[in-house]
Amino acid sequence: MHEELSLHILDLGMNSLAAGATSISIRVSEDRARDRFALLVRDNGRGMGRAAFVRALSGRGSTKTGRRRAVGLGLAFLRQAAEACEGRFRAASLPGHGTVVAARMRLSHVDRPPLGDLAATVRALALAAPGARLRVACRAAEETFAFDSQTDLNLPSPA
Amino acid sequence: MNLDELKKLKEKAQRQVALREGHKKYRVVFSMGTSGIAAGARDVMTTMLDEIDKRGLDDVEVAITGEIGLVDVEPIIRIEEAGGEQVTYAKVNAADARKIVTEHLEKGKVVEGLAVGKAKK
Repeated sequence: MHEELSLHILDLGMNSLAAGATSISIRVSEDRARDRFALLVRDNGRGMGRAAFVRALSGRGSTKTGRRRAVGLGLAFLRQAAEACEGRFRAASLPGHGTVVAARMRLSHVDRPPLGDLAATVRALALAAPGARLRVACRAAEETFAFDSQTDLNLPSPA
Repeated sequence: MNLDELKKLKEKAQRQVALREGHKKYRVVFSMGTSGIAAGARDVMTTMLDEIDKRGLDDVEVAITGEIGLVDVEPIIRIEEAGGEQVTYAKVNAADARKIVTEHLEKGKVVEGLAVGKAKK
């Protein structure tokens, strides 16, 4: 399991890049009034057909085939985290168009992982795919954070 | 395989060779699949980037890859040298990451205790 929600976001973003996405949009919001945490990752990657989609959500195998083994637990991890925190998990995918994954949790739930280091996640994703457009919007009580790789890219050296 | 596919393949091969024979002496590749992330790869990467930055090492480039199939020994870092030599470090923690920067990237000495595989190209 990932200890921070920002690690789940990194996992989803890496999925998007593995699917050949050239555009990834990440939205994070903490709503104190409604006691809700929500995250959403949308990409324009190749998407998954029904069989691959079901397999990806099951946690019983990767959609990857061939020589390299993979894990196939990323989405199942997020679903488990969401459901453990009175939340829910939604995902949709359309072959040739992309995938969107969303999770919601009760913000004050004792088991809800902290958001963690979202900036480190953004940095990792930007390094992983220098060519892809990466947009992040984070609205939380303490901070709002917006990032667009097309305008804000200021990679730490060495890049 | 048609002509277009062949052309693409050639371009891809050229790009990869260009990377290997690029200006940088070292290429550091982090494995950032589910298992790597769960094992702490992101924070190891952050530590390493900060250390590289602090020491002003500019002959290093960084890349990130997905799951590489060695899930039980993550976090994994592979260092590719301009000459084609590769060293893989496994189960890397923050202290190891700093040591790899100061020993391998700065002084050119492989950290033997941490390296799991050293393969010629």
